[in-house]
Amino acid sequence: MKVAMIGWEYPPFKAGGLATHCLGLTSSLADKNILVDFYMPKTKHRVYNNKGNLRIIEVGETEIYPYDRPDEKDLSGAFFESVYKYNNLVVQKVSRKHDIVKYDLIHVHDWLTMKAGIALKEKLGIPLIVSIHSTEYDRSGWLYPNQWFIDIEREGMEKADLIITVSHFTKRTIVEKYGINPDKIRVIHNAVYPLGEGEKKNLVLFLGRLTIQKGAEFFLKAAKKVLEYENTKFVVAGTGDMFHRLVDTAVHLGIANNVIFTGRLTDEEVRHIYQIASVYVMPSVSEPFGITALEAASAGTPTIVSKTAGVAEAFKNCLKVDFWDVDEMANKIISLLRYDALRNTLAKEGKREIMLFTWDRVADKTIEVYREVV
Amino acid sequence: MPSVCFYFEVHQPMRLNRFSVFHIGKNIHPMNYFNQTLNKNIFEKVANKCYLPTNNLLLKLIDQYKGEFKVSFSLTGTFVEYCQQYMPSLIESFQQLFSTGSVDLIEETYFHSLASLYDELDEFEEQVLMHREMIKQLFNYRPMVFRNTEAIYDNRIARKVADMGYKGIITEGTEKILGWKSPNYLYKPINANIKVLLRNYTLSDDIGFRFSAQGWVGFPLTADKYAKWMANTPGDIINLFMDYETFGEHHWPETGIFDFLEHLPEEVFKHENLEFITVSEAVKRYEPVGEIDVPWAISWADEQRDVSTWLGNEMQHACFRELQDIGKKLKEKGDRDLLNIWRKLQTSDHLYYISTKGFEDGAVHQYFSPYDDPYDGFINYMNILQDFKQQLIQ
Repeated sequence: MKVAMIGWEYPPFKAGGLATHCLGLTSSLADKNILVDFYMPKTKHRVYNNKGNLRIIEVGETEIYPYDRPDEKDLSGAFFESVYKYNNLVVQKVSRKHDIVKYDLIHVHDWLTMKAGIALKEKLGIPLIVSIHSTEYDRSGWLYPNQWFIDIEREGMEKADLIITVSHFTKRTIVEKYGINPDKIRVIHNAVYPLGEGEKKNLVLFLGRLTIQKGAEFFLKAAKKVLEYENTKFVVAGTGDMFHRLVDTAVHLGIANNVIFTGRLTDEEVRHIYQIASVYVMPSVSEPFGITALEAASAGTPTIVSKTAGVAEAFKNCLKVDFWDVDEMANKIISLLRYDALRNTLAKEGKREIMLFTWDRVADKTIEVYREVV
Repeated sequence: MPSVCFYFEVHQPMRLNRFSVFHIGKNIHPMNYFNQTLNKNIFEKVANKCYLPTNNLLLKLIDQYKGEFKVSFSLTGTFVEYCQQYMPSLIESFQQLFSTGSVDLIEETYFHSLASLYDELDEFEEQVLMHREMIKQLFNYRPMVFRNTEAIYDNRIARKVADMGYKGIITEGTEKILGWKSPNYLYKPINANIKVLLRNYTLSDDIGFRFSAQGWVGFPLTADKYAKWMANTPGDIINLFMDYETFGEHHWPETGIFDFLEHLPEEVFKHENLEFITVSEAVKRYEPVGEIDVPWAISWADEQRDVSTWLGNEMQHACFRELQDIGKKLKEKGDRDLLNIWRKLQTSDHLYYISTKGFEDGAVHQYFSPYDDPYDGFINYMNILQDFKQQLIQ
């Protein structure tokens, strides 16, 4: 089977879980004898690949982080222009390749590449698979979602032959908010490459894009409460459009001395911080999956996640809270810091359960979906 | 001729209130550890779905078959306290059943606790004596047969129970202790003079677990089919031990569980080789056919049939240690009210909720748990134990 897969990010260029997903999926598909041409924008980073069945094809150029919330002024500017430009270039490039390769299907990820997916399906007459890793409702934290994105997403989902979502949570969203027929949606939970354990330090970690979606302000409010009882450090790792607001919040809460903002971290730094953290918190307002929770757990770090996060459907050995319930979040953080038995059990059982979350399984399930349309 | 020995466990734990780390040390009265509203609601719900209708049915059947239909019960102290507080008529209903002469009562620890697994057995003995006192007061009766919490059993427990004067003790008829031997006879511990009744887990679970399982080869289970199975079972005695809540709660009335029970005596009496028997009659009538040696504790719980259901992970062990430590401090202090709270906290269910066992049994655990998951259960219970410890020092 030959697949033209169109994406936006691929390690080391990485804005979020999508890059991690594309790496894991394409590598495991290649191992299962699926020929994958992965199209992505050219970046300053070099992409490494040693799989014979996998080709990374770079098209055009961009430095945009599409999951940052664009300001109003950007909406008509460079942001959309570069998305359109990339989609048009991809259509041309895939069409030319198709003449030689004869793809069996097109597989696109999220709104960024949907225009190209739709155009190619019509032009080449082959099936279209759309993977939904997040919707506009998630990225906006369900506050003022932008209709422009929603329309693109809906069009892509409607035109798709089958849709893959990373959770039942996301399946529900696209049935309820986009009016998509549930019969054409397949749920495939994400996976993780285990990181391995490190020596734990007395610190509580948030790691993710600093956007409204990820709920870092709830992390800071819980930190304030925890610090009234326990002496520990809180790390906010990542960057995003809320960075300055969050720094201000930490100052206003009077906890600036105990909160470290790291900014964007390299892959190596990310791995390290997962390994040394005693607690990982993912207080997302709206989280289709949340691979970071699996990454933390794979490093033996007990994890607290939003009850509604996709990962909470599938991963049992983590603590679950409502993202807005900062008292309960603080209760759980303090309990983790105080009770060795809780920390140890979560770490041990979590690492064991992580073994079930393989990209191999994701690839198998994805191939099942391909077989339904080819 | 195998005798059919029905025995029902009747128990409700005292579930806990939500107790966060922020409640610790705030001088909350220990009686408020327990969630009265939730406990009352669950108790009344189960009473109406199970206890009252099943008692009435049993009463009718005993009358209908002129006392030849017999069952045995074990009522925990916490269950009886609920009755006294919320539904005294339920106690009267059990008294009425007992007065037929076809109902036997079994001893256990008052608090359905794991005291039999403590380093010392003094607390275990006290809780058994409390139960003995309760049964005497309510029924003017002294049980001959003992069943430990969830049938937990080992050589040490057997000897202690024999020393306390009981003639019989109940545990699980698992291959772990029997090997090729049949559970349908009485046995004797290698180290004590007492008769051991072993639960026939296949036939018991056919009713307890599988009755409404549509994918099961025995489905639907009818009284005549079940009676035939028993008639074809070799041995002296078939011990059918299960939660009383099997009737109307674990299996809803719609599954036909009450019809099954109602028709069972009739079908059993169609077989000349079958009859009903109580646990006391069983230990009087039958002699042990062999010895059993159980150096490590077994139980009737989960697939493993050991105590890992309550002491399977580090969180459970941590709580169990705290409980025992608190006990040592409490006994020096001798405060009766606090002693009573400590004992209510010992009910095994609190540790059961913290089990992180595999996915198969996990579903069963989840069904009974008031918590979202075992981790929530641990945090809540441990926070309460920490608070209780602080109140003790004051």
